[in-house]
Amino acid sequence: MTMLFNDSVALAPSRDLAAGEDSVRRLLIVGIGLQLALAIPSLIALGIDERLLNDISVWSKPLKFQASLALMLGTLLLLLPLIEPRTRAGRGVWLASLTAVVTASGEILYITLQAARGRASHFNDSTPFEAMAYSVMGAGAALLVLSSLVIGVYILMRPRPGAPTGLRLGGGWGLVLGSVATLFTAFALGSGEIGGRGHWVGGVRTDLGGLPLFGWSRSGGDLRVPHFFATHIMQALPLLGLGLDRFAPGLARPGILVGALVSIGVVVATFVQAVQGQPFL
Amino acid sequence: MSPDTVFSLASSTAMLGWLLLILAPRWEALIRFIRFGLIGALSLTYAVLIFVYFFRVEGGGFGSIAEVRTLFMDDPVLVAGWVHYLAFDLFIGTWIAVEADKRGYNRLLQAPMLVATFMFGPLGLLLFCLTRATETVLEPRKA
Repeated sequence: MTMLFNDSVALAPSRDLAAGEDSVRRLLIVGIGLQLALAIPSLIALGIDERLLNDISVWSKPLKFQASLALMLGTLLLLLPLIEPRTRAGRGVWLASLTAVVTASGEILYITLQAARGRASHFNDSTPFEAMAYSVMGAGAALLVLSSLVIGVYILMRPRPGAPTGLRLGGGWGLVLGSVATLFTAFALGSGEIGGRGHWVGGVRTDLGGLPLFGWSRSGGDLRVPHFFATHIMQALPLLGLGLDRFAPGLARPGILVGALVSIGVVVATFVQAVQGQPFL
Repeated sequence: MSPDTVFSLASSTAMLGWLLLILAPRWEALIRFIRFGLIGALSLTYAVLIFVYFFRVEGGGFGSIAEVRTLFMDDPVLVAGWVHYLAFDLFIGTWIAVEADKRGYNRLLQAPMLVATFMFGPLGLLLFCLTRATETVLEPRKA
């Protein structure tokens, strides 16, 4: 990975450029560190805490969010070198990264706190504080995907000269499409307008007996499925681009186009499936 | 694991750290082991106890003696509080040892400060800081 993303040979950045880039990298790395630092005690707590929410461990949700937020910040960190150095060291990229890290940290701190309190974080309006926190989380989540959208646009508009086509298009479009699709699916999920409050549509309103690892409902629709596929376009397309650059560089453009269409297709299909109350598997 | 088991495991862990700190040579690797191994393990234990048990205590909190007493009436949270002492005291002890070595304090004179920190935390810290202040006055170092 490092070899592929390493651009140090191509240019000799001035001191300011290096410092600007370094501060962005450090933001993201500290953000990832905080997620992992919370994940370790959460994982042990999962093994010993007998408290349940929706019939599964209260620690199941923080662990999923810690893993996926660490993955998201890590994706931004790895894709950053695709941006042209001057832009990368500039204020826009820094502000987007700061927004991503602050909102991701805020989300996980509240989700972890609520797990420790044995209470729900999402869909919980039962006290004024929790109602306020839930709406702040909504705003934070919107800002979080907005920041990955901005990084994606930077990669597409201001790529580093010589950036491999597949990775550049996969990284840029992955972040853009992943962010937009997440915005739609997550807010459809959070609105509570489909199938009532919560992620279930029909079926038994429990998380017990869900799909292994993912926990998605097997008795009815689950709006977390399209959210998952939407969000992880951010990883799927860059990985596809990486593969195309390596094995079929001539097909990089059409390959990413097909990958993007398939990704959107999967999101739409799983969304329709969930809305109709059908389990994913 | 019962609160009693956690209590004695944590106490043994801290005791090992203090013995090393007071008696063993100040190898870099040893200091690192105390910091990241022993204090790390104590901190992780504390974090898990807080994650799992802290918020279950009805009427617990930090705002009044009654709230704090309520917390300490609960065994897992009482153990968490104890582990908090153990972890932080050992951390301070390690800092004192490293700082005292840097200033060339004899190990025989370091020992009472470390024992005081082991037994009574801030009392040992106070001893070290006042000693260091005295030393600074009597022998000002060149910047």
